[in-house]
Amino acid sequence: MRAISVLLLCALPALADDALRRGIEAFRAGRHAEARSYFQQSEDREAPVFLALVQAATGGCAQAVPRLAAAFADAAGPELRRLAGEALLSCVESNLKADYPSDADVLYQSARAHLRAWNEAVYQMFQKTPASYRVNQISGEILEIQGKYHEAAAEYRKAIEKNPRALDLHFRLGRVILIDAQGPVALENARREFEGELALNSGDAAAEYEVGQILIAQGKRDAGVSRLERAWALRPDFVEALVAVGRARLENKEYPDAISLLNRAVKLQPRNETAHYSLMMAYRNSGDLEAAKREKAVLDELQKPPEGEFTEFLKKLGEKPPKQ
Amino acid sequence: MRALAAIALLLVSAAQPRPDFRNIAAKAGLRRPFPNGGANAKQFIIETTGSGVALLDYDNDGLLDIFVVSGKGGSNRLYHNDGHDHFTDVTEGLGLTSEGWGQGVCAGDYDNDGYTDLFVTYWGQNRLYRNAGGKHFEDVTAAAHLTEDRVRYNTGCAFLDYDNDGRLDLFVANYLQFDPKTTPEPGANPYCWYRGIAVNCGPRGLPFDRNILYHANAGGTFTDVSEHSKIAEPSGHYALGVLTGDFNGDGRPDIYVACDQTPSLLYINQGDGTFAEEAVLRGVAYDADGRSMSGMGVTAADYDGDGWLDIFRSNFSDERETLYRNRGKGEFDDATVAAGLAHNTRYVGWGCGFFDFDNDGWKDLLLVNGHAFPEVDRLGGAVRYKNPMILYHNAGKGRFDDVSGAAGPALLELHSSRGAAFGDIDNDGAIEILVNNQNESPSLLKQSASGSNHWIMLQLTGAKSNRSALGARVRLTASGRSQVDEVRSGGGYLSQNDLRLHFGLGASREADQIEIEWPSGARQKLAHVKADRVVSIRENP
Repeated sequence: MRAISVLLLCALPALADDALRRGIEAFRAGRHAEARSYFQQSEDREAPVFLALVQAATGGCAQAVPRLAAAFADAAGPELRRLAGEALLSCVESNLKADYPSDADVLYQSARAHLRAWNEAVYQMFQKTPASYRVNQISGEILEIQGKYHEAAAEYRKAIEKNPRALDLHFRLGRVILIDAQGPVALENARREFEGELALNSGDAAAEYEVGQILIAQGKRDAGVSRLERAWALRPDFVEALVAVGRARLENKEYPDAISLLNRAVKLQPRNETAHYSLMMAYRNSGDLEAAKREKAVLDELQKPPEGEFTEFLKKLGEKPPKQ
Repeated sequence: MRALAAIALLLVSAAQPRPDFRNIAAKAGLRRPFPNGGANAKQFIIETTGSGVALLDYDNDGLLDIFVVSGKGGSNRLYHNDGHDHFTDVTEGLGLTSEGWGQGVCAGDYDNDGYTDLFVTYWGQNRLYRNAGGKHFEDVTAAAHLTEDRVRYNTGCAFLDYDNDGRLDLFVANYLQFDPKTTPEPGANPYCWYRGIAVNCGPRGLPFDRNILYHANAGGTFTDVSEHSKIAEPSGHYALGVLTGDFNGDGRPDIYVACDQTPSLLYINQGDGTFAEEAVLRGVAYDADGRSMSGMGVTAADYDGDGWLDIFRSNFSDERETLYRNRGKGEFDDATVAAGLAHNTRYVGWGCGFFDFDNDGWKDLLLVNGHAFPEVDRLGGAVRYKNPMILYHNAGKGRFDDVSGAAGPALLELHSSRGAAFGDIDNDGAIEILVNNQNESPSLLKQSASGSNHWIMLQLTGAKSNRSALGARVRLTASGRSQVDEVRSGGGYLSQNDLRLHFGLGASREADQIEIEWPSGARQKLAHVKADRVVSIRENP
């Protein structure tokens, strides 16, 4: 979702149609229904493609696929054609997995296709655009996966140097700094990067959320909570921000408000363990022990490890698991 | 290092104390290294978890002696305190020579003869050493019915009198089921990797085990009551550090267990010989996000002065330490971030302890660190095998300041440390810290100068209660402020602190009042007790 939002934002400066612009802004803020409405109102000839992109990003692949296919075939400009193609690929794969959810062959082919596409694209990128900031970005992402956070940060810094206006780089750099260490210096450096992301895109709820969390860790609680509230306002379905605001209310002993927010969070994401745990604590602190116990039961269920997960995995690897 | 120290110095304001901790171990006679598996790479998890240390006065001469637990290839060692910060190795003469994978140690006078006994945990058979008049230690494991029927990975331990019958019972945490013959090699499966490096496997992927509670019978024997007491009921926990305390204020000792990669445990004493495990609902199983941490060491103190014991737990790297504030009656909130403790995530924390290093009446906090995997040094990043220690000064009002960079050279030394014990080896009111370092000699931290604040040390002796007074709760009032603490066995990471209770009094030259709640239920009060000395208090018969 964050990636699509960032991609759509890239297209923003070139747009003339007001409804189209408002639609993209609404999508970025998580107001999907509003975004759809704007795209439907827009008279821009590319508006139906944007509508399809939003549908694809919000689970509406069935409606989106015909328009995306047409846009990819010939109707759109090169940038939009690329976005349509990526969304189309994603939709076809989603449809396959939705129609055959437990089919090992479908899942295997899907995994292979992704892996092949990844390898080919990365190879091409390194071959054809070795000096681009995207090569540094992808290098940073790979190093991040490998746990080499220091090196990843260096690659993101190079990417920023090459393209200071590129979105998502400051966010990734801030995140990798935080993963590597959370000492006072690291916290401040990470905060600067998230603020840097916000300077490029003031509507980035995730960056706003990270700034809020850092400010709280730095002992600036009130400032931190207000940034978390802003993150939530930017994206009302941003569950992490909702939980953080709920917890701030809980710390202030504003129990009804905290419980209401946290209940909303668990409705948005029924399998979110942090949301359930926070709700359990809110009920407990409010004195409603029975409700707290009910939440604990939900949490216990969610935290149960899948039966036989590890031994099955070992068998596949040819290892003999130790006896219980 | 120079740059790091400079940065840390900048963060310490002029108003904060500037302790000067020095490592006096070599000068004190603690030069022998203690083996604990591979120094550059570790094949099995057993090489990562040991070992603890103890500060106890085994010969009742008023000076704390030192006991260090060893991994395979060495012997546990007892050092006699000769005074003047010097210790002599008396291991052989006192019958404590040992071998095997020693893990934890806890102390208590289990036979109520006036001499503190020792219990040492092992991967393998634990050992109970009866202290015979301070002149010899006798291995009474078999005679006390503490022989185990299989090889177990015993870790933290604590004596406690859970049924208040005046006899010390014994709790032993169990980490997991480990057999080198069936444990996969480093890198063999996804649980044997760390940041792209093949490392020893576990704890994930290795079978769980259950904790043990032994009830003390008359006549010096124990009975395994793990099933009956419901201690063995929780499954799916990798148990390490053990902490006892009356967390809900009902007069009975409860048991908290720090667990690795699984929810930590809080056994609430039901008063009928059974315990109920209630960590999740009481808010001490997870971090604030409801996630299991890799809990290692654990300690308790009333850090915010509200009269309730709070809990601190050390965790793995990439995780925050956890401070649980007791909001009353044993319900806790995660106060880590609010207390200013959320910064040090690059270290794996082990030994930890609350102690008042500047005697200002507020308990400060020290933790010792060291990564589980020596192999992390190959990564060349911020996460390293050998680490400095962390010292947090309690600023009052529920906040701590990290003063590690300005607390003397001993804290900046790099070791891969495990157990740590806190106690006053020279009875001057400034607490020393003994640390077990993997494959190195121990560290002994001592402040180069004592401050101007006053202090008092209480040595409690039970009469109707168990003689070590384990579980006795003290409320001390000075200059209108009250502090509470309890006498406890075990604690920290697999270690034993001084059994005496130390209180900083700030500018007060006396404690206005000392109230003691003995485990027997008896209450005792003393008024206007002069400061700057060790005070012995015997329970009224």
